[in-house]
Amino acid sequence: MINFDPRTKIVVILCLSTLAVFLNTPVLLLFLFVFTLFLLMLLRVNFFSIMGKFKKLIPLLLAMLIIQSVFAPGGKVLFSLGDVNVLTSHGISSALCILFRMLTFFASAMLIMTSSPKDYILALVQFKIPYEIAFMVMVAFRFLPIFMEEIKDTLIAIQLRGVDLQNIPWKNKLKFYTHFFTPLLTSVLIKARQLSITMEARAFRVYRRRTYLRVLKYSRADYLVMAAFIIFTLAVLLKDFINT
Amino acid sequence: MGFIKFIDVGFSYPGQNKPVLQDVNLSIPKEGVTAVIGPNGSGKTTFSKLLMGILKPTGGLIRLDGEPLSSLNLAQTGRRVGYVFQNPGKQLFCETVEEEIGFGLQNLGLTPEQVSRKAREIMEYFELTRYSQSFPLSLSTGEKRRLAIAAVLALEPDLLVLDEPTAGLDPYRKKLLGDYLERVIASQRGVVIISHDHRFINKYATRLIRLEGGQFAEVGPTGNHH
Repeated sequence: MINFDPRTKIVVILCLSTLAVFLNTPVLLLFLFVFTLFLLMLLRVNFFSIMGKFKKLIPLLLAMLIIQSVFAPGGKVLFSLGDVNVLTSHGISSALCILFRMLTFFASAMLIMTSSPKDYILALVQFKIPYEIAFMVMVAFRFLPIFMEEIKDTLIAIQLRGVDLQNIPWKNKLKFYTHFFTPLLTSVLIKARQLSITMEARAFRVYRRRTYLRVLKYSRADYLVMAAFIIFTLAVLLKDFINT
Repeated sequence: MGFIKFIDVGFSYPGQNKPVLQDVNLSIPKEGVTAVIGPNGSGKTTFSKLLMGILKPTGGLIRLDGEPLSSLNLAQTGRRVGYVFQNPGKQLFCETVEEEIGFGLQNLGLTPEQVSRKAREIMEYFELTRYSQSFPLSLSTGEKRRLAIAAVLALEPDLLVLDEPTAGLDPYRKKLLGDYLERVIASQRGVVIISHDHRFINKYATRLIRLEGGQFAEVGPTGNHH
């Protein structure tokens, strides 16, 4: 299996995200998305099974695309209601741009999953980022599933006290969803305080200089991939800059 | 007839070969205190989550008062069966203790006056009145457990499921909880307790079942008659 240095992956993700922001036509963004999928396939990440977990967001995404299509009119009118142009060629083009851009963001972020959080700490430290900040990044990684679990538990607790979340009106639904934020935010603050006490009790930051048993080393493939991505991204940015 | 019936129920977590429950046939009545005991990791909490419909069995059928549990949503189950989590902090989500107790009562359609009166009564009983305006998650573990139990008991469900209810409670508050359970039982409702607290179980349980190796074994009646 092909596996790159975590620093290479960080650079690749930054390049893909930058390209997703700057490219502005549906065709180019589709190419970028397909290319990102190809990268995920090489690293054996199943994009579609992970995206399946977000299927509840599909109605929201569709609503956003329709709104985008309505509020970015222009070009040929395809469908209108009275004086309002609901579907226009330009509207559809911008909606598709947003869709492919978001999918590319999601897909490129999934590259992160192909290395362990510890490797990213090493990668960030070797990028000369202070260890404290690199450690915070790892903590964020580790606690994300715990927070998801807590949201799930709160949802269950709310439903078990007689709230049928599937069948309540949207305005009430929003009111009930606000119940998430109180316990979640408090739990984050409590955990952060407990973690800081535990870390200090275990001598975190006692010595200024840290040493590592394992040191990351770039392979030739890493240099090639990084150079290719950086050159291509800079070329696109330069072309965009010259055109504008 | 049992209020909750497990018929050939099996359960395994995804990706795990060893089943937590295997062909379980069990009937839980709407009366008395059924205590579930078993070693750590034997699946007692998993059993309680299956009983509430939080987890779905991988085989067999669970019926609640004759209806398949799978046909009911959590809100419908929660109105008939009250559940106190092993970690009570996970089920508290309101901004004050009073609101926490009143939340379920509001969903039952009680008027604000009735909600407020009942919440005050419950807080009084569980000695939570002085914390009525406190933030639930800032309470101590024992207080959070008392609040979680109080919030669920306020709904007066037909059956109460308590997962490790005495953990973090001092002897006086254990007695208070036991007294309340006796009141619950006297009003023709049942209780299921999952616990390692043998002294508490011996005092209040009317039936003892042991979970080990994915199967239940009837340990027998405890001799308690409420």
